[in-house]
Amino acid sequence: MTRSLLWALVVVLVAAAPSSAQVSFVGDWSGRYHEDQPDRVPGEEPGDFSGIPLNDAARRFGDAWDVARHSVLEHQCAPYTLPYMFFGPNQFRIWEERQPDTQELVALQMYLGTYQQRRTIWMDGRSHPPEYAPHTYMGFSTGEWNGDILTITTTHIKAGYYRRTGVPQSDRSTVVEHWMRHGNLLSQVTIATDPVYLTEPYIRSQEFAMMDRNNTNWLYNCEYAMEIPTDKNEVPHFLPGQNPFIGEFSSRHGMPEGGVRGGAETLLPGWQPGAKPAPPRPNVNGGFRAEDQPSKLAAGEVKAVPVQGNVYMIVGAGANIAVQVGQDGVLVVDAGSTGTSEKVLAAIKGIAPDKEIRWMVNTTFRPDHTGGNEAISKAGRTVNGNTADIIAHENVAARMIKAGVPDSSRPFKTYFEENRDFPFNNEPVLIFHPASANTDMESIVMFRRSDVIAAGDVYRTDSFPLVDPDSGGTTQGVIDALNYILAQAVPSKNLEEGGTYVIPGHGYISDEHDVVMYRDMMVIIRDRIKDMVDKKMTLEQVKAARPALDYEGRYGAETGPWTTAMFIEGIYKDLSAGRKPAATRSAR
Amino acid sequence: MLLQPLRGFRCRAEAACICAAVIVALVAFGRSDVAAQRGAGGAPQRGGGPGTQTARARGPVDFTGTWVSVVTEDWRWRMVTPPKDASATASIPVSGEGRKVAAAWDLDADNKAGNQCKAFGAGGIMRQPGRIRISWQDDNTLKLEFDAGTQTRLLQFDRNAQPPAEKTWQGFSRADWEGPGVGRGAAPVGDSRVTGGGLPGASGVPGGGGQGLRGGPPPRGQGRINTGADIKVVTTGFREGYLRKNGVPYSEQAVITEYFHRLPTHPNGDNWLEVITLVEDPRYLSQPYTTSTNFRLEANDALFKPTPCQTAPPLPVKLPTKPTPLQ
Repeated sequence: MTRSLLWALVVVLVAAAPSSAQVSFVGDWSGRYHEDQPDRVPGEEPGDFSGIPLNDAARRFGDAWDVARHSVLEHQCAPYTLPYMFFGPNQFRIWEERQPDTQELVALQMYLGTYQQRRTIWMDGRSHPPEYAPHTYMGFSTGEWNGDILTITTTHIKAGYYRRTGVPQSDRSTVVEHWMRHGNLLSQVTIATDPVYLTEPYIRSQEFAMMDRNNTNWLYNCEYAMEIPTDKNEVPHFLPGQNPFIGEFSSRHGMPEGGVRGGAETLLPGWQPGAKPAPPRPNVNGGFRAEDQPSKLAAGEVKAVPVQGNVYMIVGAGANIAVQVGQDGVLVVDAGSTGTSEKVLAAIKGIAPDKEIRWMVNTTFRPDHTGGNEAISKAGRTVNGNTADIIAHENVAARMIKAGVPDSSRPFKTYFEENRDFPFNNEPVLIFHPASANTDMESIVMFRRSDVIAAGDVYRTDSFPLVDPDSGGTTQGVIDALNYILAQAVPSKNLEEGGTYVIPGHGYISDEHDVVMYRDMMVIIRDRIKDMVDKKMTLEQVKAARPALDYEGRYGAETGPWTTAMFIEGIYKDLSAGRKPAATRSAR
Repeated sequence: MLLQPLRGFRCRAEAACICAAVIVALVAFGRSDVAAQRGAGGAPQRGGGPGTQTARARGPVDFTGTWVSVVTEDWRWRMVTPPKDASATASIPVSGEGRKVAAAWDLDADNKAGNQCKAFGAGGIMRQPGRIRISWQDDNTLKLEFDAGTQTRLLQFDRNAQPPAEKTWQGFSRADWEGPGVGRGAAPVGDSRVTGGGLPGASGVPGGGGQGLRGGPPPRGQGRINTGADIKVVTTGFREGYLRKNGVPYSEQAVITEYFHRLPTHPNGDNWLEVITLVEDPRYLSQPYTTSTNFRLEANDALFKPTPCQTAPPLPVKLPTKPTPLQ
């Protein structure tokens, strides 16, 4: 009896000794909407930007917003991104993942009933992924305790909205959260930093109550459907100055229009209509620790990263390189810039040490895609013992001949039809030539079993797309090519992300949502410039009107090989030449 | 003695084993308990113990300084006086009686009756756009001065303090620290362990920057740790007032519970005060009304400019006359 009691005492004492004093957030939580309820539950009214430290680019984006955008097939089931997710209607479940042997907290896992999203908050001290990693709706989160406050930093968030009525959030946003618990009340502060659309961090706070009884509404079975016959690729939006809802919100609710237009200056006490925009505070978007931001490649670093199935992406060698590996050997899409080939070959060796490079595909003629042609081709070998074959559309070869590119660097396996396909590594490889995209030389490669598309420069996440009318490029051709990618891409079930992955010509690994946001941008800018061309505006007038203002902070450049001015000029030149866009009715 | 065979044990070795385990467990438990009282790093307490320390000395987080409300939420109800329309009570779980009182709101009548401060009482003052200057009035009283309405709230940490007989706009607030590190005291301004460099706060503002766990593990990379402790405040004994400028009421029977958190310093150096407020009112609310309000620390109180209690009349509502595409 005494022995049993003493052992029991040992067990109780050991169990009672607190290993850490941290608060537990485990459980099912449901939102409380005692702030901004009309915005958060029924939904915001168009033209209401109040309370947001947004910039002019965001206002332009919001002014163009048409709620019918939600009817676009690819948008119908799109989840909210993290900065909005907890603001909107939501309930979620939290559980812990602990290291079995030590019981150390590895991660907090979340399942969100809204859009059936999954979220992992890593608690093991790891750093954030590199900048070329895919972005997701929930992003990549790491957490750390500050006493009883859990502080979470999230990057790699897809582009989305701070409000459902079109206040944009860029994929360069970083969100810091602070979670606090008092009894059955969870308070969550979110602070979003977005150098593209916000002039300073945007703080909000929400409350959630622990659910005593499990709510059964945990599923989101969304299936997109064409409900009204319309152009599948229509992107509803309002041209500048034509949104009839601007001003309605303020007059309907007795509010000063200047305040409804938002801005950092409107958030502070004493603000009056007509107040000047707040001057930016120094380093207001900075200060993040290196490990809390997407890591960058070191200068000269070339790296192979797995994408999906048999396909890898090599980064750091100029344009992105897609590499397919299997029993038949190696197929390489694009060759990178001159001078990087040694590192590219080493990277390929790292993922396929015993395989020969059999094929190469050039998605275009530009040197950042083809500079390594000769070195990589020579390093490879066809089954007949020749150097690896280079496949490209015949216009690439013609352009190279004209430019005096030596035979050893030129593609000899050219094609002239719209599609070329062949099996390799037990996988159908489909090459598609959009007739006139950036130029008349582009190719898009799809690995059908791996479910990966190498898009070439038709899609890139680092700049506006090239539109080069002098090389056979057209605005509509770029849009058509993006729509082709969208037609092939299928997101994963429920999460509405992943599924088919897209390797861009430059930038991070993407999926359907990333491409559709890029396509929407291209359609909107096209429509604006088309409208200006129809009004007989000169190129200088068009540039001064800044038809790409809402995207300049994300894709624009004032210097370098492809500036915003060149982009505007390319579209203007194309549309002024009399070629009519096929889908002009996308603008109201 | 302990190693004497105990009744029920097969041998001396087993008894010794169990006794040793008990001792280890007790030591572990005791150490954890002490550590928890001291804080994660086990720094010794100041003074004799919680019972003898002042609230100021026990406080592990520094809330002093001037804080400005940054109105990113409920903007249309906070920055302007909202109209008496269908959205007048939106977001607030008003009861039927509360709805009636809100609908009967008459700004002119309030002004004539000398009730201009009804929107600046304990239930509404935190939601008013304005600045709060926080300082210790004495070792057990934290003073909150509001420039909006020129109001003052006193958070009484002294458990012997008694509420005044007469109700006031701000009522009587009983406060206490809660959470880790209580009893350790806040790091003083300029403490190099706080700022990592002896600077007056991470952003050059007073208040210490709220980072650095004294005696505990150093922050990873750029330090931004505070202890995560908070002040819990329960307020009663106030006059009836408004949760919103437009007359959504709270009654004298309400109880207001607040949690004051100083958030870990943001990477850009901003320091935020988060005030979580629960208003429980059996008369005018159908459930607890929960809000959280954000304030940013300012470098000084230069912009703290007291103004009298005054509510601007709502702007006129103009319903659209031209048809929109949805009509």
